[in-house]
Amino acid sequence: MLELQNINHLALIGSLLQQMCVYLVIAYLLSKTPLFAPLMQVTVRLPDKLVCYLVFSAFCIMGTYLGFQIEGAIANTRAIGAVLGGILGGPLVGFAVGLTGGLHRYSLGGYTDTACAVSTTVEGLIGGYLHLFLLKRHRADRLLNPMIALGATLFAEILQMIIILLMAQPFDAAARLVAHIALPMIVTNSVGAALFMRLILDRRETREKYSIAFSAKALRIAERSVGVLMQGFNEQNCTRMASIIREETGVGAVAITDCEKLLGFVGIGADHHLPGTPISSPHTFYAIAHNEVVYADGATITYHCSVSKDCKLGSSLVIPLRGEGNRVFGTIKLYEPKSKFFSSLNRTLGEGIARLLSNQVLAGTIEEQKRLLAQSEVKLLQAQINPHFLFNALNTLAAVIRRDPVAARKIVQYLSTFFRKSLKRVGDESTLKDEIEHVDAYLQIELARLAGRLDVEFLVADDLLHLRLPTFSLQPIVENAIKYGISQMLDPGKITISAQRSDDELTIVIEDSAGLYKPLPNGDGLGMNLVDRRIKIRYGAAYGIEVSCEAEHWTRVAIRVPVDQELVTC
Amino acid sequence: MLSALIIDDEAPSREELRALLADATDIEVIGECSNAIEGLSAIHRLRPDVVFLDIQMPRISGLEMVGMIEPSALPRIVFVTAYDEHAIKAFEEHAADYLLKPVDAHRLAKTLDWLRSGKRAPATAFPGADSPLRQIPCITRNRILLIALEDVEYINTTVCGVQVVALNKQGVTELTLKILQERTALIRCHRQYLINLDHIAEIDLLENGAAEIITHSGKRVPASRRYLREIKDKLLIG
Repeated sequence: MLELQNINHLALIGSLLQQMCVYLVIAYLLSKTPLFAPLMQVTVRLPDKLVCYLVFSAFCIMGTYLGFQIEGAIANTRAIGAVLGGILGGPLVGFAVGLTGGLHRYSLGGYTDTACAVSTTVEGLIGGYLHLFLLKRHRADRLLNPMIALGATLFAEILQMIIILLMAQPFDAAARLVAHIALPMIVTNSVGAALFMRLILDRRETREKYSIAFSAKALRIAERSVGVLMQGFNEQNCTRMASIIREETGVGAVAITDCEKLLGFVGIGADHHLPGTPISSPHTFYAIAHNEVVYADGATITYHCSVSKDCKLGSSLVIPLRGEGNRVFGTIKLYEPKSKFFSSLNRTLGEGIARLLSNQVLAGTIEEQKRLLAQSEVKLLQAQINPHFLFNALNTLAAVIRRDPVAARKIVQYLSTFFRKSLKRVGDESTLKDEIEHVDAYLQIELARLAGRLDVEFLVADDLLHLRLPTFSLQPIVENAIKYGISQMLDPGKITISAQRSDDELTIVIEDSAGLYKPLPNGDGLGMNLVDRRIKIRYGAAYGIEVSCEAEHWTRVAIRVPVDQELVTC
Repeated sequence: MLSALIIDDEAPSREELRALLADATDIEVIGECSNAIEGLSAIHRLRPDVVFLDIQMPRISGLEMVGMIEPSALPRIVFVTAYDEHAIKAFEEHAADYLLKPVDAHRLAKTLDWLRSGKRAPATAFPGADSPLRQIPCITRNRILLIALEDVEYINTTVCGVQVVALNKQGVTELTLKILQERTALIRCHRQYLINLDHIAEIDLLENGAAEIITHSGKRVPASRRYLREIKDKLLIG
């Protein structure tokens, strides 16, 4: 009799474990659906809690149905749903799941119905309080631990048995039942809960691995493609870009278009998808016209190559490239061949790549605009050769010729040096030596004009003369110092030009002894503003011009530019 | 014979003009000045028939200087400028005379003919000559001083000239009270005084109907009954 009962126990454990397998297969299949996503993290959001409640209530009810009748009661795996619902969703969800499962069990009747209803609710609450306990201890990471789920369910099932003994009538029948089902149910439910939790955990790890691989891929594309499109959105660069994307994503083919024609195509079908030909695919037209992603997966939306019937490509993902103001300026298209069974086209990755490309093109446009701006500003500085300066210089010359022809010849030389340097220098950068020669020619003429009212001193060490700075950085500042400084003084004044170098910075200071600087909101400071803007565009906002002034004593204009680390010659 | 004064801040420029004028036997250059402040003083002292006046000069331009002289005391003015599109356009509209640097001898000869003819441009002909003054040129102990109008507390005539009193400095100016009253926001409060309304702290009314104005820095300025009403009105209106 005793032996028979033992065999019965083992058989019961076996059947319950079989049930468990069905139960877990269903759980596994469900884990592939988005329904599972909220279960994979501890969440406080109401919709997630609702999903949690629905899923585990369903498992709870399923556990009851999958169980089988023993002596008017049901041996089952209902506890798994209730306990896990509590652990993952908290006390409220645990209670709700337990109550739902319990009421459902109650509706099926039998002499243990009340006891089962109560015990299932209690099990849900046990899970829920474990949830609270772990959160309070800041051990939320333990919530997904299968061993904890096992322990909790073990405890919950023992409690259930006690509740049945206490509540179910008649007691004799209850005691017999518990003697039969206690061990099988406790073992099966505990192991089942642990396995279920393991499943959730696995699912989560897979997802993380997938997203890591995904980001790594995106990052590699980003790294390899740095600056490719910045040099221009043209056939050559687009072809380079397309081949990088194809190598990294492993899709069948990659195409990049502007709004009219194909700019680059790499991969299967490259023999008839020729760069330079106009766009013909309706999907592409649609994507451009509606600024929308078009995914012709070959099944729900068919894809047929619009160029050649023999094309092996079977599906295509078209993503618009968006520039300033979200305007479409082209598309990127990813293709897979018909022969490929599982398409690796991925909308998210595709959109990421499209964003990367868009940003690059945008950055390129901005760079180009900056360059044009800097160029036009040099022109502006050149054109700024002040007519006042010219006529005053000629007037000075007229006077000096009369008195001292030799000195006049010198002035003519300085004048021609000044103009030659002003007109000729077209490069972006020049050396400090060039700049100082330019300024010197200018100042020599001013010295003659202001005769006795101006004194000039250069304090520039020879070893700084080779350092580079943007062309026309110095002369406009010196001209300002004369125009708004010295020439406004009633007494004689002095201009001092000095240069210092710290490790990686060159500072040139132009000081006048007038101290008449007044910041102008706009207008006359034009030359100085241009110099400042050009330096900032070139080297960044950390560099540029700073003005300090002590009224009636001095005005100092400091020009700061970075110094290139010089190459050490062997 | 015409007496001429050259006012230009550039020495070569004065030198050149003087050399050109030396060819004309009926023009005598009686002085040279290197800024407008010296120029004002020389005009009042030397009373030249004609002034060759540079426009671009330190602190006070030639145009501003003309505005500081009473029309009755104004000599004939020939502006000399290197390049000033706006001014030149205005001169042409007002038939005032001007020379461009470097000065062409033929052009100068024409100007001299115009001067000999005795015709003169109306005082209003000078563009900008009636714009408000921003600063008052003064002289203190051999130093030239420009006092910003907002710093001026009051101005009065004394035995040594027109005295400008500011917060922490004072000086004597060549400008007359009349010109100062016309060209600034200063108010006449007494036959010999102009007051800056912004500096009035209080007004002590005296028994005889006159008053004494006390400035923020505690200086006392007499106000006669005749001008008091106007001051009160202006202060109340704001």
